[in-house]
Amino acid sequence: MRLSDYIQFSFSNLWKRKLRTFLTTFGVTIGIGALVSMISFGRGMQKNVTESFRALELFNSITVLPGGFMSERGTQDPDEKRAVSPPSGREESILDDKAAEKIAGLKGVEMVFPEMRIPALVKFNEKEELRLIQVIPAKVAASKLVKYRAGKAYGSDAENSLVISASLLRQFDIQDPQSVLGKTMVVSSIAFDFSVLNPVDLASVFRGEKIPFSKENYELRIAGVTENLTFGGPSPVQSDIFIPPGAAQKMKRLPFSSIWDLFRAKEGRLGYSALNVRLSSPKFVEPVKKEVSEMGFETFALIDQFQEIQKGFLVMDMILLAVGMIAIVVASLGIINTMVMSILERYSEIGIMKAVGASDGDVKTIFFFESSVIGLWGGLFGLALGWVTSGLINGVVNYFLAKQGVPFINYFSFSWWICVGAVVFAIAVSLVSGIYPAWRAARVDPVRALRHD
Amino acid sequence: MIKIDQLSKVYASGKILVAALKEVSLEFEEGLFAAVTGVSGSGKSTLLNLLGGLDTPTSGTIEVKGRKISDMGKRELALYRRYGAGMIFQSFNLISSHTALENVELPLVFSGVTKKERKQRAEQMLDKVGLSKRLKHRPSELSGGEQQRVAIARALVNRPQVLLADEPTGNLDSRTSREIIELLAELNRSQGLTVIMVSHEEALAAEFAGKIVRLHDGQVVREEKAK
Repeated sequence: MRLSDYIQFSFSNLWKRKLRTFLTTFGVTIGIGALVSMISFGRGMQKNVTESFRALELFNSITVLPGGFMSERGTQDPDEKRAVSPPSGREESILDDKAAEKIAGLKGVEMVFPEMRIPALVKFNEKEELRLIQVIPAKVAASKLVKYRAGKAYGSDAENSLVISASLLRQFDIQDPQSVLGKTMVVSSIAFDFSVLNPVDLASVFRGEKIPFSKENYELRIAGVTENLTFGGPSPVQSDIFIPPGAAQKMKRLPFSSIWDLFRAKEGRLGYSALNVRLSSPKFVEPVKKEVSEMGFETFALIDQFQEIQKGFLVMDMILLAVGMIAIVVASLGIINTMVMSILERYSEIGIMKAVGASDGDVKTIFFFESSVIGLWGGLFGLALGWVTSGLINGVVNYFLAKQGVPFINYFSFSWWICVGAVVFAIAVSLVSGIYPAWRAARVDPVRALRHD
Repeated sequence: MIKIDQLSKVYASGKILVAALKEVSLEFEEGLFAAVTGVSGSGKSTLLNLLGGLDTPTSGTIEVKGRKISDMGKRELALYRRYGAGMIFQSFNLISSHTALENVELPLVFSGVTKKERKQRAEQMLDKVGLSKRLKHRPSELSGGEQQRVAIARALVNRPQVLLADEPTGNLDSRTSREIIELLAELNRSQGLTVIMVSHEEALAAEFAGKIVRLHDGQVVREEKAK
């Protein structure tokens, strides 16, 4: 038999039973549609995260933590920790400016800046918001890590300026970021007010009437407005407000930004809670990590964590795939049902074909072609369905997120291999579904099939 | 030359074994118009199915033009049905959704003949059986006699050596029956086609056939040359 005859045979046979063919194909369409949107969603999420990691050059960064920090944190029982207390970090392994300089001198290190966050009340447009202000050098503020919607980074580390995010501006009821550039914002740092801690006032503190903090107001000029963070992930630079170190030094503030600092302060080993290290390329991650840990510090690289994230994505992909596969299995049962019905109906026709010289192989191939045509159409329509559905979901989700100031994100990713794979997979599934029907058709006994009545 | 030697066919009908043919030995010369007669259940259709390669014997051999079809595998039998023997049936066995032309083209489809040649040969064949004006008709739009002519055209389109007819006139009135048998006799005469016809109409058979074989209970009870 010629290929063109197989194709013509299958199309005309399927066309004879339009409704049934349509319903069966529709089953495959839904299955493939579900599978395609599931996979493209999984891919889309992964792509978004990977791309934003890459765009922010997060693979080039290492976080350096004080020595013994990780191991202390890993201890389950706090009492036990006290007992084993002898600081594993040596005397020199304090994360101070000296350590930062030393790390900055390592090969491949572009920049080192301490992790510093200051809790503060931000006042603007007659509104107040509590935020952790992050202190970053001008060099970092001007780097790829920070994206600007309006204005630019402060010019020097000593400038009395700040950079604010568009989403925080929104909290202040400001829609146009251009309009605030150059304006002054009041930042009130929060510091312990020890005068409150006398016995008389302490009672009111416990009653919640007074808080043991004092506030100092500082006026800073708005230099730039940043984009909202999207898939920021665990970025070392992530805050609604950035200020340069110079401005930070002037502020009276809490001497620590995390509870761990409090413990270290007691031991007289106050340093930075962490140092952010930027490298010129991801290939320096391992050597720098090694040298830094030899200095007695703990290191943490996002690239290591990224591998964990990827494992998570694999699990998510598997779950999405499993959901999609249920639809495929149901669709494949539909194909088997349709094909078996078709054989029963065409029992004598198969007998006739065999009587005039069709081999078992010819009969099998005819039925395989029929089921694969169902698969082909199901695959193509399913791809279209998946594409339309995910487009709709994407549109609706983005519409609502846009109201909250989140920029447009494509949650689905349709790569060419998803498109080709969906159609090939649909045909493969229908071929597998066709195995039993085709085998049954080939086994039809012509003598019985042609016996009149 | 068709040689049948010690041919037996046993069917399992439930748990009971039914011997449809019991050690039948027969010979048909080339170019012969032969008739096989007998009451229903005498094994004549079974014999024809075995000759046509639709069924395989329990024991014994069948040789057609020196080729032992009783030893053939499935694939070879399909080829034998395609090129070696053409069959027609009492109930015509046309595909109802196909036109007359498409029905005749069917064996050529399995032979892998091009569409153009297929159409040409099928038209020629339908012309030969007198249906050149009925090409686009479906079986339901044709009379019984016309349907049997389409079946004959289909059986002969791949130029087989033998035409096997299983009660070809069973569903036809006497006038049409005669026309069909005359057509078979004419094809036998003009083209030297070997025709083996199973029929219970002994009178008609005696009039046209060169040899008559009578079966009873799966055995040959009479074998005679007519005319």
